[in-house]
Amino acid sequence: MPYLGSEDTVRELRRALCNPNIQSDQLRYRNTVLKVIRAMSQGVDVSGLFTEMVKACATADIVQKKLVYVFLCSYAALNPELSLLVINTLRKDCQDPNPMVRSLALRNMTNLRLPSLVEYVEQPLTAGLRDRAACVRRVAVLGWAKIHNLQPNSETDAAVVNELYTLLRDPDPVVMVNCLRALEEILKEEGGVAINKPITHHLLNRLKECDVWGQCEVLRVLQRYRPQSEDELFDILSLLDASLVSPHPPVMAATLSLFLGLCSALPAVGLAALERVRGTLLTACGSPSREMRFTALCHIQLLLRSLPGLMGVHYKRFFCGYAEPAYIKQRKMQVLVELVNDENVAMILDELKGYCTDVNADTAHAAISAIGGIGRSYSDRCLEILTGLLGLKQEHITSAVVQTMRDLVWVCPQCSNTVCEALEGCEDTLQDSQGRQALLWLLAVYGERVSSAPYTLEVFIDGVRSETSLGVKMELLTTTMRLFLCRPAETQDMLGRLLHYCIEEETDMCVRDQALLYYRLLRCGIEETQKVLQGRRSDPSLGVLIGRPAEPISHWACSFNTLEPLKQGTVEAEPPSRGSPEHVTFDPKPNSDLSDTLDCSQIGKLHSASDRASGCSDASTEGLGSSAPPPLSLSLTPVLSPEEFEHLWLQRQDLHTEQDAEKREEEEGCACLLEHIRCPAIAHCSPQSLQAAMQLVNIQTLAFTPPHTLPWRVYLYTHTQHTQRGNAPHSTLIVGELLYTREANQRVKLVKKGLDDRGMVEGREGEPVKEEEEATSAGQRDSARENGEEDEVKVTLKQQPRDDTALKGFLSILTTVLHTLSSERT
Amino acid sequence: MSASAIFVLDLKGKVLICRNYKGDVNMSEIDHFLPLLMQHEEEGLLCPVLSHGNVHFMWIKHSNLYLVATTNKNSNASLVYSFLYKLVEVFTEYFKELEEESIQDNFVVVYELLDELMDFGFPQTTDSKILQEYITQEGTKLEVAKSKVPTTVTNAVSWRSEGIKYKKNEVFIDVIESINVLVNANGSVMSSDIVGSIKLKTMLSGMPELRLGLNDRVLFALTGRDKGKTVVMEDVKFHQCVRLSRFDSDRTISFIPPDGESELMSYRINTHVKPLIWIESVIEKFSHSRVEIMVKAKGQFKKQSVANNVEVRVPVPSDADSPKFKTSTGTAKYVPEKNMVVWTIKSFPGGKEFLMRAHFGLPSVENNELEGKPPITVKFEIPYFTVSGIQVRYMKIIEKSGYQALPWVRYITQSGDYQLRTNV
Repeated sequence: MPYLGSEDTVRELRRALCNPNIQSDQLRYRNTVLKVIRAMSQGVDVSGLFTEMVKACATADIVQKKLVYVFLCSYAALNPELSLLVINTLRKDCQDPNPMVRSLALRNMTNLRLPSLVEYVEQPLTAGLRDRAACVRRVAVLGWAKIHNLQPNSETDAAVVNELYTLLRDPDPVVMVNCLRALEEILKEEGGVAINKPITHHLLNRLKECDVWGQCEVLRVLQRYRPQSEDELFDILSLLDASLVSPHPPVMAATLSLFLGLCSALPAVGLAALERVRGTLLTACGSPSREMRFTALCHIQLLLRSLPGLMGVHYKRFFCGYAEPAYIKQRKMQVLVELVNDENVAMILDELKGYCTDVNADTAHAAISAIGGIGRSYSDRCLEILTGLLGLKQEHITSAVVQTMRDLVWVCPQCSNTVCEALEGCEDTLQDSQGRQALLWLLAVYGERVSSAPYTLEVFIDGVRSETSLGVKMELLTTTMRLFLCRPAETQDMLGRLLHYCIEEETDMCVRDQALLYYRLLRCGIEETQKVLQGRRSDPSLGVLIGRPAEPISHWACSFNTLEPLKQGTVEAEPPSRGSPEHVTFDPKPNSDLSDTLDCSQIGKLHSASDRASGCSDASTEGLGSSAPPPLSLSLTPVLSPEEFEHLWLQRQDLHTEQDAEKREEEEGCACLLEHIRCPAIAHCSPQSLQAAMQLVNIQTLAFTPPHTLPWRVYLYTHTQHTQRGNAPHSTLIVGELLYTREANQRVKLVKKGLDDRGMVEGREGEPVKEEEEATSAGQRDSARENGEEDEVKVTLKQQPRDDTALKGFLSILTTVLHTLSSERT
Repeated sequence: MSASAIFVLDLKGKVLICRNYKGDVNMSEIDHFLPLLMQHEEEGLLCPVLSHGNVHFMWIKHSNLYLVATTNKNSNASLVYSFLYKLVEVFTEYFKELEEESIQDNFVVVYELLDELMDFGFPQTTDSKILQEYITQEGTKLEVAKSKVPTTVTNAVSWRSEGIKYKKNEVFIDVIESINVLVNANGSVMSSDIVGSIKLKTMLSGMPELRLGLNDRVLFALTGRDKGKTVVMEDVKFHQCVRLSRFDSDRTISFIPPDGESELMSYRINTHVKPLIWIESVIEKFSHSRVEIMVKAKGQFKKQSVANNVEVRVPVPSDADSPKFKTSTGTAKYVPEKNMVVWTIKSFPGGKEFLMRAHFGLPSVENNELEGKPPITVKFEIPYFTVSGIQVRYMKIIEKSGYQALPWVRYITQSGDYQLRTNV
């Protein structure tokens, strides 16, 4: 075909379309129409041929009809008047004996998207709903949705809505599903199709007939149904069980979503459902389609938020293949970090180490951050790898490593020695501003321990004129100031030069202002400067707890199986390390979610769920219900920050040591309790599992020493909510310490200090409690003798205000958790 | 799910074909797609979902095409991807290869298909067997078929038409197992699994009722038989023709087969498989001078079996030159555009061991670009053998006319994702 400009093309085509010779020869006519469509697909504006194409519509040739309809639907909006001409042909086609022609006409009639034509379309659509052929009914049903979409404000005929409801019982499953879709659209204002008991049961029974798309649609719509009784709920759940393990990931996801919605009041069932889909999700992670793999990974990340241990043994499934795209590799690494435990840490780190030298710098960076993330619990091994990577002298790797070390050292101050040693000499390889900023920050904090720190700074200061990054300049100012405070002799001269440059020559106002601020600060005296620049540092003997607390499922259930988890990742994927490390402090999200507060009666259930999860049953859970008074509940809110905790704890400690009677009276009522719980091997328990187990019963662990170290200690807190007979709910705060020193404490002592002189009644109530506890501890002592040498953990609890019953309830919960954990270990 | 529109783009981002299903997203939004893609790729944040304002693009890439679905709802991602892959599947069945040329050559059929596959953003008829009954590639054929109403659209057995006739009634059953293996640089198997599929080529008249018997361990346990080797299958996925309720209750695989070729079922076996072809490699790189490669391949399967068309692909540095090879069997070839040596062995008997040595020169000026560590990959095919030991015990064919039909079974084991990492 000779090349023609678009106008020529259109003219040529018009001539051909109007040629009576061509019109009479069906094959040639069709080929001409084909040319028009081809031109249209190539982007030529053929809207001028509308009239001719309308005429071409009146033909017996189905292919030509389809082609003309494609054309008309694309250009109808530009020619609403002319489109009216097509309606006649379309309406005639709706009477055609061939159902294919009928459905085609009906579909395109509604695809024209012209509000002016609605009145002509309604009658054939109504007829279409009662057509013999299912394919026509399918189209007609959706046609009503399209019409409603065109005129969202006009009321759809109630008769039509009724008819659509009736068609939910159509023998053809696609018609049924289309009805659901149409009703959802038409009744959007009223919250979608009404889902009552008969409809729900009907849909559930026919679920198997539908194809994958239909099943997903039905399952989604059913999310709005609320079963009337528990029996009904469980009937539905058992019906859905087969779909929950469906090999089609979309069906599985839709079912799980429905499950979680239905079981929102039964967290244990929800958790069991998550366990059930594990296999299917893992298979989806290995699916040949990378997009499906990605989606599965994103959803696994959601699941792990509530069940951190879900995929632990399957960590090998998350190892990256060589040819996988970077986005999958990064997600897999994020998952791997969550899965680390004592058994697999060596393998995972070995694997991650391999990714650190990936050709793709982003993947390499992600791998290094992942190692840093694991370093929060296994710092020694990770630091070894990170230090090794510095030896490669690769620019982007060094930068990522230094940034990772900065983030790590902020949460694990005990790593600082290794980090300081590693820092020497890496400034030469650092080129990018992010990496240099991290290096400067580290020098600022640990300047006194890095011998070459002043020399490194000197190089920076000498090159400050050619420095382009604002962030580096600001960081440089702070670092020089802080280093000056600890090594004044070596730094004074260069600080002077830097301040002089920044104040006199620097053009950027931020840098200049900061320099001025420091200058004036220095003039106020060295003590003032120290006060401003050297804040408190965390206690290096304690590691801040890693990992997120296990969230209740309800936090993410609503975004499950949507686009959200896929998008969330991209936000998370920007490594948190990019920002200033001050923002990475441990900060448990304050959540006001009510499901946070668990009744004690539910704790038992939850517990048995967790036991089932780990494949081990524990008899002590049964004892829990009887020993704890039912109305006691624990809660994590309001959140206690580590600083507040420290403050409270130390305050209590003073009180505890001072046995002063007058002091006691001043206190407005708190209780201290010292107890020994026999739980061998608890100190070898991984911090993750300890935290997860505590979280399950709403005890927040704040800090702990790494496993296997002595003395081993954990700090924790919780709020009790306890309804005393007839009284208003009474809540107390309990802070506590678990201490393990290996010395077998043969003598079990019970120290109990009532600090409240007003609480005579409570005191009396406390009596039997005390006896009971002594009895149990005596029992423990006996069994301890029987089993030979047993290790005990010293538990110190402090409560405010005092409430013995609550304290006792709490202690029994704690004991159960510790027993469960240590029996899992042995 | 709801997709507002579906686009097929070429690699430059030009729209080849599109279909606006809902009309709630402006069709010109697609112009932002490729720039967004490029931008994200540069930043290393590429992701299968891209967003521009409140429009989300969900895309997949197939040969030289992008298939993109747009939506402005928080829709079900996995369903949209499934649909896009379904599109690829259907198009591939129609045009053999789905690529830019085939879309341009067949755009009439593509329009027709897009029309039937989805309506108002909801998937409708997606079974290619059904679609092929009333949308044929030859437009002329349609005139003949025009008066014939495709029964399948309304039929109870939607995947098979009535009145099919063959002179000779036969069924061909192919049991194909692919092995996925990942071996660490120090020789330990990191992960391995078997993905199996049973394919049928049905040439049977009428509406036959088929029953397939496998040595399924669950079935044997149900019936109390425990002799012989059995197999535990996971993630069993069936063609829609199989009666799932019967499988769930007594593990019987009974069905009315679709005519012609189809995949009856697929399964996965998650066991530790011994890598059928074991590779030991020594790759020594002497900077500025040469690379020396020694690869030893060993067939770790029964002596009676033979692996065909074995290809061992060994990566070499991109700046390597002047290749020299020595092989104990087969031929080695340097493929510079893929930076690898391909060692081909036409037939590789079990238990045998072969050796290949390669020598490459390296330029004295070192390549500054950082190179990845691609693994060694192996391709092979072993006929008459399944690594899991799955067997077709019987295939019963019952049709009301009572004809005799012959089932033919063929077993093949082949390589899937078969990677062995190197330590270079």
